Amino acid sequence: MRTALRKLFPLVMRHSSWILLAVIIAAFSLHSSRFFEWESALNIAKQASYLGIVATGMTLVLLTAGIDLSVGSNMYLSAVVGGWLLSEAGAPLPAALAGCLGVGLLFGLFNAVAVTRLGILPFVVTLATLVAGRGLGLWITQSQPVSFPDAVLEIGSARLFGALPLPIAIFALVAMAAHVFLTRTQTGRQLYAVGRDLEAARRAGIPTRRIRALAYVACGGLAALGGFIAVAQYGNVNAGFGKNCELSAITAAVLGGTSLFGGTGSVLPGTVLGVILIQAVTTGLVSARIDLYLQDLILPAIIFAIVLLDSIRARLRGPSRTLRRRA
Amino acid sequence: MAALGAILLLAPASCARRPAEETGLAVLFSFQDLETEFWVAAHRVITTALKEKGIQVIEQNAHQDANRQLEQVRAAISQDVDGIIIIPQDGESALTIIGEANEAGIPIAVFNRPPADRSRPAVVVVADNARIAEQAVEHLADEAARLGRKARPLILVGDLGDPNSIDRRKGFYRVVDRRRDMFHDPVEVPTKWDANTALSNLEAALQADPDVDLIFTSSDFMYPQIRAVLEPLGRWKKKGEPGHVILGGLDGDLGACRLMKEGYVDATGVQDLFFEAESVLSGLLEAIEKGEKTPERWTEDPGFALTQANIAQRELDMWGCRLASQAGR
Repeated sequence: MRTALRKLFPLVMRHSSWILLAVIIAAFSLHSSRFFEWESALNIAKQASYLGIVATGMTLVLLTAGIDLSVGSNMYLSAVVGGWLLSEAGAPLPAALAGCLGVGLLFGLFNAVAVTRLGILPFVVTLATLVAGRGLGLWITQSQPVSFPDAVLEIGSARLFGALPLPIAIFALVAMAAHVFLTRTQTGRQLYAVGRDLEAARRAGIPTRRIRALAYVACGGLAALGGFIAVAQYGNVNAGFGKNCELSAITAAVLGGTSLFGGTGSVLPGTVLGVILIQAVTTGLVSARIDLYLQDLILPAIIFAIVLLDSIRARLRGPSRTLRRRA
Repeated sequence: MAALGAILLLAPASCARRPAEETGLAVLFSFQDLETEFWVAAHRVITTALKEKGIQVIEQNAHQDANRQLEQVRAAISQDVDGIIIIPQDGESALTIIGEANEAGIPIAVFNRPPADRSRPAVVVVADNARIAEQAVEHLADEAARLGRKARPLILVGDLGDPNSIDRRKGFYRVVDRRRDMFHDPVEVPTKWDANTALSNLEAALQADPDVDLIFTSSDFMYPQIRAVLEPLGRWKKKGEPGHVILGGLDGDLGACRLMKEGYVDATGVQDLFFEAESVLSGLLEAIEKGEKTPERWTEDPGFALTQANIAQRELDMWGCRLASQAGR
């Protein structure tokens, strides 16, 4: 019996996030039978899609031991420009989307240059662009909401092959592309190496500046895409759009196993699982009609439990890289 | 150097004082943010009125940071401003800020968001959110009574730390509790005043309870999210059309005005923005004129409900409709 438990324990710990997700689904399904339905699963995935896209970009940056606090402001600014192109400049939808993504990429490029060329700490650079980006967006809109035409709403409500909501399909594509990039390409593997030990990576001949810059630019572009997917669901951007999204994106990535110290983590299943976990809990709390005041306690408690399980798992594997580094 | 740059960016801007053109008076106007149409319109009405009176307005955006707002007020006090108007982040921080102004002997006015209690004197102008919500929901309940069966109501609740949000929820429940016989248990949807949270949670709530007949949003800015959820379900219908969800909100903004006219929204609780702005200005300026350092006046805006029944008569009493009319929309 004891031997069986000893064998089972590491197995449980290795798959703790999945097990927790299953427990959460089971618990909420007991409260509300509709939570277990296919439409409910689609709803969770659809609502998680915009944050998932932003969190995918965030994962790339975190893997390099960096951080991007400006993604929420990037979402707002790029959506504002996209909306302006559509409604004021009369641009066709593809051009407006390109403009929106272009702003996101430029935003990321600015962060990249400041971090890799000017040598400023990522935390400081992106904190500054968080403030400046929203300020620029507010200046453009004068704090007024920006409305998008119905064509944009149609993207948000469209279903691929009449079944799969388009936001989910786009999220899946982004997550798979990032997964292939990280696991099957040389540049992807170099991203991990840079995050593990920047100096060692440089000595090994890895173009560390280019690799880190690539992560920030990709993060900027994905923030803009995530913002557009969010806007496509309700066709309107107000001045608070994207606020605090950076924290949700970081939480999703960390829940998925990405280390804040860089070099460890994955998009698939990691960040995807993290973002689905957050959305499943949020949806479940609403579906089960849990008291509003308790909801703000339950979600952090679950997040704490996941991080705790993760740290136990890391301890079981042996001394962590961080501890080794400190030693 | 880089860190210094970032800190400067985040720090409150200096309140360098320069003489006003006519009165020689300077007033600090510190607001929590400009994220909804109501705040934007209030900001415009207050600053325009002050400038028209020849008073220099020192505008400061606290970006939803109570500490930053406190620093802005302290900086303005050190520059010896003649008066202070704040839209506080919350009731507790409002009390702290009022205390600072009282100590410095500078009259202070609080706009639209009440201090946690009345322990410190100030010119306070607030909407009676509970009463306004109650009036709007009362009309929605009358509409629900016509269904001839028990109705399922749903409320989109704002931030639980915002007293206005709590009062609106209170007003909603006053009606629901009073007319218990005609309602099932209400569905509560938290939004934290965030558009994405509102969308996600409303979709989840309607997935779990698809038989919702009545939706009350604690702020008009969430109508696009309501539409995004109802439309795919085939329930974004005008009043009188089969499948119409009885819909109401609170604020009285431009979007609500348009949706009322189109027939999607049944009632909107309206804050009288112009009355509130005029009251806060007259209260503060009177105190400055009389040399009162710690004036104490508390004014409540009773508001009203614009409904499909009275829209023809009272449309222009709603600030959103009046601004739309002025803009030719």
